[in-house]
Amino acid sequence: MNQADVSKLMSQLRIAIRPRHRNLKNKDGPEGRLLKLRKTVTALVKHERIELFYNRADEARGYAELLISNAIRHGDTHNATMEMADYWLLEKQLVHKLFKVLVPRYENYTVSYTRMFNAPRTYPGIYYKNSVLELRGNPYPSLIVDQSQNKNLLHNVLLDEARKEYRRKKLAELAQ
Amino acid sequence: MNVSTRFLINRLGKQCAFNRIVTYSTKSTEHAAANAVETEKEPKIKETTASTASEASIPIRKPVIPANYRFIYPEFLPDPKIEWRNPIREKLERMDMLDRRRQIDLPEFYVGSIMAVTSSDPHAEGKVSRFVGICIHRDRCGLRARFILRNVIDHQGIEVIYELYDPTIQKVEVLRLEKRLDDSLFYLRDALPEYSTFDENMEAEQLEEGAPVPVNDIKVVLRPRPWLERWERQNLRGVANIDQYLKDKHRQSARRVQKPWEKYDLMKQYRATIPEEEQNEIFAEVYAELHAQELQRKRNKRKRTFVKPKQLA
Repeated sequence: MNQADVSKLMSQLRIAIRPRHRNLKNKDGPEGRLLKLRKTVTALVKHERIELFYNRADEARGYAELLISNAIRHGDTHNATMEMADYWLLEKQLVHKLFKVLVPRYENYTVSYTRMFNAPRTYPGIYYKNSVLELRGNPYPSLIVDQSQNKNLLHNVLLDEARKEYRRKKLAELAQ
Repeated sequence: MNVSTRFLINRLGKQCAFNRIVTYSTKSTEHAAANAVETEKEPKIKETTASTASEASIPIRKPVIPANYRFIYPEFLPDPKIEWRNPIREKLERMDMLDRRRQIDLPEFYVGSIMAVTSSDPHAEGKVSRFVGICIHRDRCGLRARFILRNVIDHQGIEVIYELYDPTIQKVEVLRLEKRLDDSLFYLRDALPEYSTFDENMEAEQLEEGAPVPVNDIKVVLRPRPWLERWERQNLRGVANIDQYLKDKHRQSARRVQKPWEKYDLMKQYRATIPEEEQNEIFAEVYAELHAQELQRKRNKRKRTFVKPKQLA
């Protein structure tokens, strides 16, 4: 039963987080793990959609979310946040992107800032699960297929039938 | 955890009763009973209009929770370890804590404050013991919250661990309310005894109302090795002469075990904290009660300050 650390205030994340971090096997220990994640976060902020192994994506996701939420909370005049952005974004022009593009984009969001999808695994290939990690509101076409116009879906079939019935009734009324 | 079901039922009953009062106005039903001539529908309409008007006129006010509550009452925040979270248990614990606080005045204190705790002790003379000391550590949360007091008595360092919500505690006084530079003062164990010696008959010092809690920036002097811990590895701010006892090998090993990347590990920090939204929820739940107790304490303090001096001619 430890006391919660009260020296820092953080916003609640809108994603589910694991109770413990993943070690992300590497020879340099925790520092190397953070370097891996910094590369991933930098790539995510740069490209807005990346495909990578599931574990690394899931780990990096929390860091990206917190980086953005802290940037929204404190703004670009807060020294500690700026230092954090400087550490996490290896390409320094992305610091400007974080504060000038992503913060205005996500200011009024009520959902998470990132999205993750399972991606297919190559066969035969490495066993690890693949995933796609993206920032919400990115300029690419959506990864989720729009099914609203699929005529074989049950609700569309029912809507079609209802429409036909309505038309039949109208015609019968006109015939009278 | 000892939760009396009777108490729980009482509490729930009260809440339900309150709800009923809010939803149906008893006044208008009496009115309706008296005027039996009136049709059934009319009073109902009246009632609804009256209730809506009263709701509209009273703006819904949210309690403004002071930002420093998380420092004053850190034990109300649950353990951030996700596996151990249990919202219902936490809520029940908070209710029990408030219950205990209704019985006994548990004042605001910090690591570095000088306190006196009076507790029941079957072996002490008069079955009551009073211990004065400096709070060197605060840990655990909920009903298990505890703190350590340290003093030097008869050239012997004494530390007592008190649980804040222990029913055997009779009185907690803060003699000098202040903070130190570090979050825990375990290094006082290896400091010269004068830094943890406090007079047992010390008088409580009054702090001005509304003044911020002062930070005592005293730097303690350590005695030579051997020490209980490797203080050079802990980046202590409240120690004056640590360099005097360090050799190069100590400095090197201290440098080797430093983890400068940890301050950038956002998720680690997040997992060690309770997010702000959740904190607000928790403190909104207990604010009314704690605030009332604070006001009561202030009133008592004012009373105490106007005591007539007991000087005889």
